[in-house]
Amino acid sequence: MTLIEAKDLCKEYVNEEVKTPVLHDLNFKIEEGEFVAIMGPSGSGKSTLMHILSFLDKISCGKYLFKGKDVSEFNDDQLAQMRSKEVGFIFQAFNLLPRTTVLENVMLPLLYDGVSNNNIRIYKAKQALINVGLDHRLNYFTNQLSGGEKQRVAIARALVNDPSVIFADEPTGNLDSKSGLQVMKILQSLNEEGKTIILVTHERYTAEHAKRILRIKDGVIESDEKVVNRQFAQTSNELIK
Amino acid sequence: MNKTSLHLAIRALLAQKTRTILTILGVSIGIAVVIAIMAAGKGLNKMVMSQLEVYSPNTMTVEVKIPSTKKTSNENAMGQATGITITTLKERDLEDVQKHPNIDAAYGMVMGQAIVKYQNESKTSLLMGEGYNLQEVEKFELASGRLFTKDEEDSLAQVAVLGYTMKDLLFGEDDPVGKTIYIKGKPFRVVGVAVKRGAVFGMDMDKMVVLPTKTMQKRILGIDYMQQIVAKARNRDEIKQTVSELEEIIRENHDITDPNKDDFAVNTMEEAANMLSNVVDGLTFLLVALVCVSLLVGGVGIMNIMYVSVTERTFEIGLRKAIGAKNRDVLWQFLTEAVLLTLFGGFFGIILGAILALIIYLVAVSYNFVWVYAVPFSSIILAVGFSAVIGLIFGIYPAKKAANLNPIEALRKE
Ligand SMILES: Nc1ncnc2c1ncn2[C@@H]1O[C@H](COP(=O)(O)OP(=O)(O)OP(=O)(O)O)[C@@H](O)[C@H]1O
Ligand SMILES: [Mg+2]
Repeated sequence: MTLIEAKDLCKEYVNEEVKTPVLHDLNFKIEEGEFVAIMGPSGSGKSTLMHILSFLDKISCGKYLFKGKDVSEFNDDQLAQMRSKEVGFIFQAFNLLPRTTVLENVMLPLLYDGVSNNNIRIYKAKQALINVGLDHRLNYFTNQLSGGEKQRVAIARALVNDPSVIFADEPTGNLDSKSGLQVMKILQSLNEEGKTIILVTHERYTAEHAKRILRIKDGVIESDEKVVNRQFAQTSNELIK
Repeated sequence: MNKTSLHLAIRALLAQKTRTILTILGVSIGIAVVIAIMAAGKGLNKMVMSQLEVYSPNTMTVEVKIPSTKKTSNENAMGQATGITITTLKERDLEDVQKHPNIDAAYGMVMGQAIVKYQNESKTSLLMGEGYNLQEVEKFELASGRLFTKDEEDSLAQVAVLGYTMKDLLFGEDDPVGKTIYIKGKPFRVVGVAVKRGAVFGMDMDKMVVLPTKTMQKRILGIDYMQQIVAKARNRDEIKQTVSELEEIIRENHDITDPNKDDFAVNTMEEAANMLSNVVDGLTFLLVALVCVSLLVGGVGIMNIMYVSVTERTFEIGLRKAIGAKNRDVLWQFLTEAVLLTLFGGFFGIILGAILALIIYLVAVSYNFVWVYAVPFSSIILAVGFSAVIGLIFGIYPAKKAANLNPIEALRKE
């Protein structure tokens, strides 16, 4: 089933009369279960595209269909609803709440997804943390964690709602190579389990962990091809199942 | 406001304890002052009204006044204070008042001041000439002895009833009844001592000596007029009618045709009570209005804190929105914080206000004022209602600002 479809999708930022066109007439489809890497040089529009696909931003023209539904005209509340139900985020800067425990961070999306029973929230959050091998850090404050651990908390948070697609914008950008590999391995295994993953990166090596690479340059798609020599993240890590 | 926003708001407030406490303090002081002032207004009202309690609502007075002035005017008060004496209110007027079918009893009153001596003690005292039938007209109780009789008054007997403080000053622990005191050098026999009465309209009712009116007129002052007639009506419903009838009778006695030239005024206690009550209420209202400004200041404090809080937590708001919080979730979270601040402020304000009112009460009582300790329910409603509204109004702008933040931009502000 087609999860994401862009039809002549474009985006321009308008700041005080100054228009900055960033994306131009993009056309592509992403099927359920894919693992797509969006690559391109700095400023090419990768993050902009990801924000649009993940309902954080609105398009300027064209169409964006999600699960066949046109979401171009969605209002703020509907977009929030989509973010809550359909997508999970992993950011380069982790974006965890400070002075808050690991468990609470992971429970956060459930709060806005109408899971009113606290016990269910705790249970689901624990499950997600087991998935990323962090169930021994439940009550740590996020600022007491290493970078790799933080990003795994972020992954657990992205997973907890069981979203249709996970977006990761440079998830390894702030990590050493070992922690980076760990993250890629989790993403790969999530994809094995059927989760659609869209990864933004400017590193070819990281991109090659995906199954397909979409190259963007100056806001247009330069190439769109399958990964031939796919990398598989190998870690000697006992944490990941 | 749901459980989640309540939970989040409490956590956020706890995360900034000092700031939260200071904001709550600002709000509660405003509320406390409103409550304390309204309670003090109640106390003041009680005090003023208790002064009138010696008089029944059926009491009427005929007072002299300077012609062509209003009875409550400055000219009248100043004129009489600076020596204009109206000498037209006489025994004949009193008799006519007494004859009126709706008048139960009436007496004439004169006032003066003199040195009162007993053995080696001598004190300046207020002298009140009052009727033998004083007790039929108003509340006047004796601690010991008796009041003078009609025969004594008619025969200009030199008898006196002492105010409670006068008795203490002149006699100490001794019983004065039967003893002789000297007023303006003339001997007076003490027949009774009044109970403690406190102050009425600022006049110390205990530091005075009461003489029969006629005795005082003839033996002390050497006059044949009086300053006031105090009367008690039988039927309160007819009191208005009685007032105008008495006015006509006295006008005729005084040969006055133009009511504007009246040299007297007939007043009822009810009027006086209403007027005083209005003055106290007006005063209280004014004070409360002034203090509401301080509530407004508390509100601005809340708005300020909320703005700081929104700015500080931009990243957090962005993140919450990115992972699915709707605008209204964020709005409620911040609004709940603002409302919680005011509600806590209201809660502590009520306690603080009640304590303040209690202190005022204790001070007032220590000054011998007849006061009540009452925290009016209306003051609580007003203070808490007003502060909740303020919390909402002043909280809504920062909360809106938070709710409408763009998540992408907000996330850049870590
Ligand atoms: N809010 C904005 N207003 C105006 N222009 C913007 C805004 N956000 C991004 N841009 C511009 O859009 C272009 C694409 O930005 P974007 O962040 O999508 O690039 P990117 O491919 O993610 O780059 P990088 O690899 O450095 O993260 C840039 O030229 C940037 O300056
Ligand atoms: Mg980027």
